[in-house]
Amino acid sequence: MIAYTVRRILLSAPIVLIASFVLFVAVRATFDPLGKLRQSRDPSVIHRETERLGLNKSVPEQFLLWLKGFLTGDWGVSSRTGGDVRAMILQALWPTLQLIFWGILFAVIIAGLISIYSAVKQYSLADHTMTALSYVGIALPAFWFGLVLIQFLAVMPRQQFGWANPPLYFVGLHSAGQSGFNLDYVRHLVLPVITLTITLVASWSRFGRASMLDALSSEYVRTARAKGVPRRRIILRHAARNSLAPFVTVVALDAALLFGGLVVTEQIYSIPGMGRLFLDSLLTGDVFVLLPWMLVVACAVVVCNLIADVSYAILDPRVRLR
Amino acid sequence: MLRSPRASAVLAAVAGLLLVASACSSNSSANSSGSETTATAARNGGSIVIGAEQEPDCADWLGTCAGSIWGNYIMQIETVPSAFDTRKVNGKWVPQASDLLAGDPTVATTGGKQTITYKINPKAVWSDGTPISSADFAYTALQVRDGKDIFDKSGYSDIEKVTTPDPKTAVVTMKTPYASWRQLFSNGYGVLPAHILKGKNRDALMKDGYTWSGGPWIIQSWKRGTSVTLVPNDKYWGTKPHLDKVTFQFITDTAAAFQALKSGQVDALYPSPQLDALSQIKAGIPDTKSQVDPVTGNLEAIWLNNAKFPFDSQSVRQALAYSIDRDAITKRLFGVIGVDKAAQSFFTPIIGGFGESAFQKYTLDLDKVKSLMTGDGWAKDSSGYWAKGGKRASFAVETLAGNKRRDLTLQILQAQFKTAGFQMTIHETTPATLFGKTAPNGDFQAGLYTLIDTFPEPLNLSATFKSSAIPSKANGYSGINFDRVNIPGLDPVLDQIDSDVDQTQRVEASKKADQMLADAVPAIPIDDVPNVLLWSTRLGGEISINPSEGPFWNLNEWGLAK
Amino acid sequence: MSTGIASVAEVAEPAVGEVSGTRELLRRFAHHRLALVGSVVLVLLVIACFGAPWIAPAKQGAQDLALGPTSPSWSHLLGTDQLGRDYLSELLYAGRISLAIGFFVALVATTVGTAVGAVAGYVGGVVGEAIMRLTDLFLIVPAIAILAVALKGLGSSPVTIVLVLSGISWTYIARVVRSQVLSLSEKEFIEAARVIGASTPRILVRHMLPNLAGIIAVNISLATASAIIIESTLSFLGFGVQPPRTSWGNMLSQASGLVGTPQVYLLYFPGLFILVTVLCVNFIGDGLRDALDPQGRQL
Repeated sequence: MIAYTVRRILLSAPIVLIASFVLFVAVRATFDPLGKLRQSRDPSVIHRETERLGLNKSVPEQFLLWLKGFLTGDWGVSSRTGGDVRAMILQALWPTLQLIFWGILFAVIIAGLISIYSAVKQYSLADHTMTALSYVGIALPAFWFGLVLIQFLAVMPRQQFGWANPPLYFVGLHSAGQSGFNLDYVRHLVLPVITLTITLVASWSRFGRASMLDALSSEYVRTARAKGVPRRRIILRHAARNSLAPFVTVVALDAALLFGGLVVTEQIYSIPGMGRLFLDSLLTGDVFVLLPWMLVVACAVVVCNLIADVSYAILDPRVRLR
Repeated sequence: MLRSPRASAVLAAVAGLLLVASACSSNSSANSSGSETTATAARNGGSIVIGAEQEPDCADWLGTCAGSIWGNYIMQIETVPSAFDTRKVNGKWVPQASDLLAGDPTVATTGGKQTITYKINPKAVWSDGTPISSADFAYTALQVRDGKDIFDKSGYSDIEKVTTPDPKTAVVTMKTPYASWRQLFSNGYGVLPAHILKGKNRDALMKDGYTWSGGPWIIQSWKRGTSVTLVPNDKYWGTKPHLDKVTFQFITDTAAAFQALKSGQVDALYPSPQLDALSQIKAGIPDTKSQVDPVTGNLEAIWLNNAKFPFDSQSVRQALAYSIDRDAITKRLFGVIGVDKAAQSFFTPIIGGFGESAFQKYTLDLDKVKSLMTGDGWAKDSSGYWAKGGKRASFAVETLAGNKRRDLTLQILQAQFKTAGFQMTIHETTPATLFGKTAPNGDFQAGLYTLIDTFPEPLNLSATFKSSAIPSKANGYSGINFDRVNIPGLDPVLDQIDSDVDQTQRVEASKKADQMLADAVPAIPIDDVPNVLLWSTRLGGEISINPSEGPFWNLNEWGLAK
Repeated sequence: MSTGIASVAEVAEPAVGEVSGTRELLRRFAHHRLALVGSVVLVLLVIACFGAPWIAPAKQGAQDLALGPTSPSWSHLLGTDQLGRDYLSELLYAGRISLAIGFFVALVATTVGTAVGAVAGYVGGVVGEAIMRLTDLFLIVPAIAILAVALKGLGSSPVTIVLVLSGISWTYIARVVRSQVLSLSEKEFIEAARVIGASTPRILVRHMLPNLAGIIAVNISLATASAIIIESTLSFLGFGVQPPRTSWGNMLSQASGLVGTPQVYLLYFPGLFILVTVLCVNFIGDGLRDALDPQGRQL
């Protein structure tokens, strides 16, 4: 088990390294690190900054310098705000992690419930409705859906019923002056979480349903049924548990997709997380934030993939013996 | 797989639901917003939340990173004292000596050099009790003049020396006469505390916010991405704030901001007049008052490279000006809030009194276009575009991304130019590329961007239109006459506006300049971007827009209604 | 595992048994009712969008500044936008770009991905592994991030958008094709072909490709669907199709601030068009999967 995990980690490291080099070159080629300063009326600024940032060195040299800095915790200074990049990224990670955590929790629970119910009550009206909705869910542009949700679940109710506050909020994660886990927080979470996870819930529930159906029609379940094992036990203990492995894998792999959806979701709901940080940095060509950002996210995705592989190995012992 | 008709029915139902919903669009609220500023009295105490649509990048007002005007609106004006405020006198915005000074500074010419003597108000103190002194003036002046990372040194670079005969008197000597001297120690910079910053890294100490203040407020906290909170400065010697706390919450999304206002989550908004914001205003916001002010310092114009084909010909430039209906454009963009007249001068409305709307003569007149173009040797080609010597009247307009209203303006322009026979394409670029490379090198034909005046003094005109300001080796490519404007006889007139201390003479010169600019059409002014302020009826006090200092210029007078 | 050399006749036929005649395919496809509906709707949409110059009620970009935005009415079925342009017409014209980008990305990505995946799978060994590690690279940084950076750097003309989007999307099909080719390589008929001296390209094209048809077809539809959504997301964020060119995505970007105003219909319609298009494409994909691989063996 440990050997397997270690082996996987070692295999991932070179990939991340190569990826970071490619990204370094690409980002530096696309954006001028001194872009903002070129507007300055002070000609000596350019020269001074070029020296200070080592921009006159060769590209591999610059990369190694940067990598060294990155690994020792010195991620540089943002050209947009002048702030410490590491602090900025860490600060942006917190809201993002909250969204991801609640998003995955929500999506897994809902998708899991839908899968089990749909598989058990196959071809019922509920099953067909869920399937239809999941088709729609996969086809939705999530950002559009988010805006429509705001219109229907927040803005329109408030207007129609004349309430002072909309039932669900759509700016940030807390109202002014509030913090902590309370009703205000939940009211802020609902819309972003749904927007973020709608596509995943749709595809996971389809996948889970198919997986459950497979399990339910498999031989060992038929055996259990013949043996007279109570229905609920069959569903939960046998079928569900055995479709768990592929389900978890898909979840872990797709979790990486969440980072993409984050960018739009945070934009729409004004949440100051990693997605917003990316957009702000991209629009101003802030190279110094973009590179560490990409590395952090890449590492997170690699970790997700690792979790997928390891949990598959845990849940399905056959894999380990390969 | 779905084979049952039920599933298809459900799917159809979902689609139908959305389509039906679109038919029942939301009703517009019955209560419309008021449009005057009948001030309600304000009581003491309480706190409010104001929606801010942009978060400043940093709070180092002098440095290269302080480009965001919102930083000035929400932090700089409230905490940094200025020598001159921008105030409305007889219907015009003019610089007026602030309560930092003990009266108008005296200007004298000694030995051919202009000297300005500032007398500081004896009551003026910093928030830690240290009196504001001439040392602070000296420190600020030299920081700007000699600093290594200052964005704009104009005016300060001509300071010869600052002497401090006594702690409450500062004397600034200019190398050459500077008519816009009132913008010194004002206009977004102000006066900084020497006793806190001298000898230290000013940028590091200020950029994330600072706890000192020489104004009515102190920055209590700045939660990046979320909010900035201000609390009253007890040591302030002027009108103390009514409110106990003001929080600026950053809400970048328009719809969200308006919802926050409607639901009472924020008490005021200063939205940039994008079309969706104006739709929101038109839809009605109950229990709010509003003020729309067309007198601004933001001029959106089409800038033409006078040295490049096809705009190296004055006839072509004039024809271009006659091909568009600028009033109709302005009306479409801002008609909802009652602003429908195009900009007719390069002197923005905030510079009260200068210029005289010389561009009025340029209305949509396709016959004039025809006569000007044919007179210059152009003829329409097979596609209906003007062509001369095999070259088509085709040009690319450089523009910056991220402004939807500007995108729509460009589309309107493109359509109108096409009707008149000009082929316009749009080329998107970044501020860094545009102002750092493209414009200084003259690698463009036209551009659409906003000229911003932040102070009621004609500070921008010489830099923009004087031939000596064309970026060249002589000035180290640092001039900002990107359009390569070279109008015979204009330079001395602009010089007079810059250096003649006699206001009447300056105004006369400005009218002359306006006419010359309108005849040569180096660029075409389109619209002055108006300002809109919305606030809840729960607020009281004298609330109004100040085009130079922002809507929160008198935040100390805001309060909860009695 | 192999039980002997198959007969020459069997080798000459590129069949493993499930590749049926065209008629049978169409019958199976038509049996999938939603796929049929999807195809019809999609074809109508394509005709309406690409035939917009003839079909649309108004000319492209016909502004009416005095009119401004108006709600749907009989004279303008889907209303007018901020510049008074007929919204239905604008949507149809914009659809040309959105649909074209979707289709071409799918085409390019599938072609490249299939070729690379087939080679990697057939050649195998270190080369194959190396190629797959390359695709790993593409997967660890979020696609949106790479795309946004790439488009900022290379500019956002429709051609670069297609190239950049394809550059990301090919990796998925490559992996699937590779694993399929790997498993097919073990099969007898391939072994036999090799034995009788058929060259690698011939084997790949004549023998493997038909068996990959199912995956390829389904992937084209999947890739189209995701390309349309990604393009609209990028355009919404401001990195994709740039004004004055319109796509459904950047029409949504212009309308995003209209939530809560009477002009909110400007937000509904482009999104609905995207939704319907992607739904149809997904249904067609399902139908194709059913038709080409009814026993679900390959997928």
